[in-house]
This record gives sequence, structure tokens and C-alpha cells, in this order.
Amino acid sequence: MSALSQLYLPGAIAVWCALAFALAALWGYVDLARGDESARGFARRAYAFFTLAVLASAFVLLVALARRDFRIDYVFQYSGLDLPWHYQLAAFWAGQKGSFLIWLFWGALIGVPLTRSIGRHEGPVMGIYVLAQLGLLFILVRENPFLMLDHAPADGQGLNPLLQDDWMVIHPPIMFIGYALSAVPFSFAMAALWKKDASDWAARAFPWALAGFLVLGTAILLGGYWAYATLGWGGYWGWDPVENASLIPWLFGTALVHGLYLERTRSRYRRANMVLAVLVFLSVLYGTFLTRSGVLADFSVHSFVDLGISGWLIGLMAFFGGLAALLLATRLRTVETRPNEDPALSRGTFLVLATIAILSCATVVTIGTSAPILTRFMENPGQVGPEFYNRVNLPIALLVAFLLAFVPFMTWRGEESARAVLRKALPGLAAGFLATCVGLGLGVTNPLHAIFLFLAVSALATNLQRVVRLARDRKLASAGGYLAHVGVGIILVGFMASSAYDESVKVTLEQGKPVSLGSHSLTFERFLPRDAHDKERAEVAVTRPDGKVWLAYPKIFVNDRTQQLMVHPAIRSGPLDDLYLSPLEYSPGSPGGFARLQLAKNESREIGDATVRFLGFNLQAEGNALVNMSAGKPVAIGAVLEVTRAGRTERVEPVYRFEQSGRTEFPPLSLTGGGRVAVGAINATAGAVELLFDGLGSTAAVPARLSLDVTRKPLVSLVWWGMYVIFAGGTLALVARARQLRKLDDLPPAGRAAA
Amino acid sequence: MSKKAWTVLGVVLLIAFAGFAFAAFRTSLTPYVSYREAQGGTRTVQVAGALEKGSTSYDESASALRFTLRDPQTGDTLRVRYEGVKPANFEDAISIVAIGRWSPGPAEFAAGKLLVKCPSKYQGTEVKSYS
Repeated sequence: MSALSQLYLPGAIAVWCALAFALAALWGYVDLARGDESARGFARRAYAFFTLAVLASAFVLLVALARRDFRIDYVFQYSGLDLPWHYQLAAFWAGQKGSFLIWLFWGALIGVPLTRSIGRHEGPVMGIYVLAQLGLLFILVRENPFLMLDHAPADGQGLNPLLQDDWMVIHPPIMFIGYALSAVPFSFAMAALWKKDASDWAARAFPWALAGFLVLGTAILLGGYWAYATLGWGGYWGWDPVENASLIPWLFGTALVHGLYLERTRSRYRRANMVLAVLVFLSVLYGTFLTRSGVLADFSVHSFVDLGISGWLIGLMAFFGGLAALLLATRLRTVETRPNEDPALSRGTFLVLATIAILSCATVVTIGTSAPILTRFMENPGQVGPEFYNRVNLPIALLVAFLLAFVPFMTWRGEESARAVLRKALPGLAAGFLATCVGLGLGVTNPLHAIFLFLAVSALATNLQRVVRLARDRKLASAGGYLAHVGVGIILVGFMASSAYDESVKVTLEQGKPVSLGSHSLTFERFLPRDAHDKERAEVAVTRPDGKVWLAYPKIFVNDRTQQLMVHPAIRSGPLDDLYLSPLEYSPGSPGGFARLQLAKNESREIGDATVRFLGFNLQAEGNALVNMSAGKPVAIGAVLEVTRAGRTERVEPVYRFEQSGRTEFPPLSLTGGGRVAVGAINATAGAVELLFDGLGSTAAVPARLSLDVTRKPLVSLVWWGMYVIFAGGTLALVARARQLRKLDDLPPAGRAAA
Repeated sequence: MSKKAWTVLGVVLLIAFAGFAFAAFRTSLTPYVSYREAQGGTRTVQVAGALEKGSTSYDESASALRFTLRDPQTGDTLRVRYEGVKPANFEDAISIVAIGRWSPGPAEFAAGKLLVKCPSKYQGTEVKSYS
């Protein structure tokens, strides 16, 4: 803890108040959970004040950033006078301390609608939920963003130029909403175990789990798009520990959503879902530990360095993991659940298999990301690269696509024979077959990829068929799951095409010289200086096979403050493929220009690799110069030169013309072996000539050159479209489940007890 | 098939998958090694070191960045080739991690991915290569 004088008191007091009110709310809610109804008012008020205190501390930090109050260390470290307002806002979550504050900010806010959606479980659920907020608060008190410097610097250190991006303004806050939401299903599960009342936990937790799934998914999509479109990492996903840290809870969340669906419709898997809810929350904590503790410092520099909170994060994981383990171990057996009576070939089996597949994926990603920790005690600790994830996830994706293709036609009771299901799926399978034929025609070579394509498109088609049918029956509200699965089919095709069939080539373009690449032709036109709208960038004309020209502007510039070289790719997105131009290197070249050389008669000099001797003037170059001069006509004088180059001598005679009017003309003459010469001036009194050379030796112009990585990524747009469709489906499901929740609360107390 | 048979099949498949995943994990693990171990090795490994000042060059014809890493402890050096975008703040890096394998022909370490660590509070940036 820091001395008072080192703290910016408005912010620090708000954080302490939040801590005090959170403790009071915890006390109140635990009392309420124990049956003391009179505690409800106190607990709610305490929670409201806790929320206000958190809002106040966030507000203080925001104002400090807006005022650019560099006395505050955090403001000094992450912002600067030159930052526009939206980057100044992004500085809020640019550092570790601020990101815990924004996490807590959302956590506190989410508690407000949460209180209204939990009915009789308010005490235990909010008790656990406040406990989770307290964990963050303890870290925030330790990692106080309101530390002050003992002097006020004139300017801050600025924001990392890599983070100066519009995506930085929206991606992290959305991510933290997703993290904050992960505590909700956890609280429901723990409360149900604690109070031995799990009858309606799934109905109540379901919309929250869906919301978490949607929000975290959106954040991951934005992060992927950021990496792809502006950071120029070449892809939307690199299996980096930081990316995986958000993917793992999302995968567990996806499994939870499916498990809750099963529980709601079949009253089964109640115990498994409680474990899943715990895993979602713990994986958020674990991901935070991986990226914030410095354990991966040598394996991803993307992650934050150790700021001394690893102990706290391990403590949090141990506390919540221990609490969950204790409750699960002692109470899970008391949770009533129905045995599985469905036949093997039924919808339920397919859902369980799909959930297992998703869990396998989550487990594999967790193990891969933890490789540096798992191998820590080996002789050489190491990490696994993208090829591990790609290889291991391929069979999982195949299984998922297979299940998705048939699940729309499976029934719970499994009344239909396998043949009947196949018959119903036939149109979809035909679509898959057709797509596979097209794929094979377009160059799909790997048989596994062909099977994958077949299954993915079949899944897309069968689910779409189902969505259309439901829409026609005016039951679109219940089509959320199918619609999401249409998106999964789309995204699987996009994943395969863009990762396995991208073609990449590196070229160096000389300014003005077209280079053909396959059916395209690329010309580096010019390098544009920074202007009011944009950074320094190259202009590359890409001529497509149909003759249309796309002007691409890959950026390559130096950040003013840090002198870092930054690059941004230029992307031409099309429905069939993206053309991705990533700058590698730019050399401005040198303009060359004329070298001047003054020679007296019979004098010789070296220039570049040539020796030049001036033999004398030729006054008869174009008619007699003296006659023309006295007649007032244009005069031409030749300079007779002997140029020796590589042992060969050549005689040339560049001409100098002038008129009475003062107009002069000195056309350059080409030399054998390259370069040109012209007569720049004639010094008649000294009998000397001034020659201009261009393209000889050091005077040769070096054209500007741009090195590019040019990649054609087929069907990458399907990745984004697939995600949009998944979100649309998820939103439909969320609306449907939230509506059911309202029904649950509208029941009279007696009916509620029976529910 | 009875339910029991299905369950057994499922467990067998899961175990097979676990074995497959474990094998993939072992083959794609890139351990940290010394320069001496990296030289002449055939598997993908990672090495760390400081950038030798002035050793950086960009070869346009090969589209490759070449530089020398120096191990601060042993003083050993390693010539590295990297085909990709030069990372931001590459020159100011206090430490560079290169992931790749030894390429015996040109006798240099061919890196597929670089991790660059900076001295400032910028808690790191990275450059990746997606292959």
C-alpha cells in the first residue's frame, strides 16, 4: 500500500469506498441468503453504493485522462498531449491497472440488471457475484491506478503506437464485458449448490450465458479483424497466448450454452452444466493469469510483463477454484437430474457429442497455451506453434460439421430411423456434394479438405433448410440455434479456404515498372507523404485480369514519438478472395541528377566508370555558327568528346543551341554502355565547356523500391459473414430465452415454488 | 449396438484423440535452446538474444531480413534470416526471440516468427507469421 501523499485522493477514496460497500453488500447478501429478509434492503443499498463508487473511480480516471493530468502516474504512462480524444479514452484500458478497473466497471454495472432477474435467489447469487467483484477490487487496491508522481511532467509518455488504432477504442472494453459476464453463470451455479436449489438455475442462467457467449465472441471477432486489417499480421488468428486466453472461456461458454439448452429441454446434464459454468469463470481467471503474470514473457511479448500480481491471480484462482471444488464435491450429488433415457441415435446424443467436441477443443487450446508452464520443469521449456492447433482441431471440426449436418432432423426420442434422417437431409447433402465438386474444380487437393468441405456445406444447407421452414411457419423466434449453425457452416468453409489455400509471394517493385503476379499486374506508382488525412503510404496500382485497376495504399511510416517503423496492409476484399498487400521494406532510392564537369580543351577527367576528354568545339554542327549568329538565326555549337569506357573509345558530339531571344536547348546524347551527356554551358573566353552527365557512376539514379508480401486469401470474407450469422442466431436465442425468463418471474409465488 | 457399446466406442475414440493430440503436442513443441544446440539441429526451436548493432540488412532479392543475435551470457552469436515484415521497434529491442530452425545450406537460422521485446514500458509487441 502506498502512502497517502502518493495517491490521487478522489480516485483512491472512490476505490476504497467501493471496497467498503462491496464488503457491506457481501455481508448483507449472505444474511439474506441465510433467510434474514430484513437484510435485503441493506444489501441492495450497499450494492448500489458499491456501483456508484466504482463508477466514480472510473469517472475520476476518465477526467484525469481528459485533463491530461500527468501528475497521475497512469495518465503519464499511457497518454500524451498529442493524442486525439479517442486515443486518450483508449489509454484508460491500455495498461494493466486501467483494464482491471474497466473490468470491475462492467462487473458492477451488470450486477444491476442481474438483481432484477434472479427472483428468490437474490441472496446467494448476489453474494457469490459480489465475492467475484471483490476479487477484482483487491487487485485494484493493490494495483492502484491513482498513484501520483512527485512532480508533474509536462507531457505523458504517449500511447503505444501499435495501440493507436480505432479498434483499440472498442475491442478491449467489449472483451471486458464478456469477462465480467462470465461471473454470472458461475454465481448461479454456486448459489444453486449452496442453497441446494437447482430447479430453475438453468432457466435463469441461460440468457446470461448466451449474452456472455455473444459479447465475448464479438470481442474475439473484433480482435481478429483488427489483427487482419490493420496490424498486418497476415491473418485473423495466430494462436497467440493472448488470443487463446479469450478463446478458451468462449469455447467453454459455447459448451455451457449447449449444455443449458439440453437441460432446459430434457432436464438432464444439470450437474455437468454446473461444472461448465465453473470452468467458464475459472478459465477467464486462468487466461488473465497467463497474460498478466509474466509466465509467458518469453513466449509471447504480446502479454503483459509481470507487475507483481501473479500471486494475487493465483490466489484468486485458488480461492474460487477451491470454493467451486468444495461445493461441487459436497453438494453435486444432491442436485437432482434425470437419467438419460434417450436412444443412442437421437438429438440428445448428437448434442452431447458436439459438446464433447467443443470441450475437447477448449482442452486442447488450454494445454497448448499452457505448454510453457507444462514444460517448465523439463530441460528446455518450450511452446507449441499454430501447426499444433491446426492439426489437432481438424478432426474436431470434422466431427462438429458432421453432427451439425444431421442434428436439424434428429428427434429427442429418436423415433426416426437413420434412413429417414438421411432422406430429410438429402437436399442439404446434395448441396454439400455440389460444393465439393466446385471445390475440387477450383483446386482442393487434400481428400480430408474435400470431406471437410462436404460436411461444412451440408451443415450450412440443412440448418438453413430448417431456418427457412421455421420462418415460413412464423416460428423464427425459435430458429436461433439453427441460424447460428448456418453461421458455423459458413465459418468452417472460410477457415479452411483461407488457411489452407492462401497463396503468398514476396516481390520487390521498382517505381514505375509493372510486375506481373499470376493474372494480376502490380506497379509501384509513387510514395505519398503524410497529409491531413493519412500517414505516409505507397500507391500501388493493381491491374486485375479484367483490366480494372485497384489503387492500393499500403502504409509504411515512422511513429513520431517512438521512431518505431509501423506498417499497415492494404486489403482488397472481394466475395471470392481478399488480396492482401503487406509492406515489407521501402527504400526511397535517390533521384540521381546531373553531375557537372567543366573541361578545358584537351583536358580529360574521370566520371563514374568513364574517362571523358574534350577535343574542342565544332562550329559547323548545324550550319556555320558564326554566320548564323551574325544573321540573328539560331546557333548550334557541338562539343567534340572522346569517351573511354571499359577499354573502348567512342566519339560523341552533344550540341548546344541558343537563339537571340535567350532560348537555349541542349538535348542529351545517349552513351554506349548507359548514361547520357549534354552541354550545359559554353565558356567562350576560356574555351571551356561545361558538361552535364546523368546516369554515370555515382550519379546514376536509384529508383525507389517497395518490397511487398502479396497474399491471395480465398473466401476470407466467409469468416466474418459466418460470425455475423452466428451472432444473429445467438441474439435470436437470447431474446427467446430472456422472454421465458420473464414468464418465470410473472408466475405467482405459489406457482414459482412449483416451477 | 447397445448403449454400452456406444459408450465404449466413445471412450476409445476419446483416448485415441488424446493420444493423437499428445503426439502433435510433442512434435510441435519448440523448446528454448542455446545457439550451439540450434546450429545443426533439425527440429523447430527458439533462441533468444540481443540484436548485434548494425548487423541488420534487408535482402530484396530474397525478401529476407538478416541480423545477428548475441547471447548476453555466453557471448555466442547466431546469424538469423527472417522472411517477413520487419517488426516495429526492431532496432530498439532489448531482446529478440526467434522461432525457427537451422538451415544448413546458407548456415543460418531461418526464423518463421520473431518476438521483439522493448526496453520501454511498452509491454511488448510482436510480429507473427502465418503460414
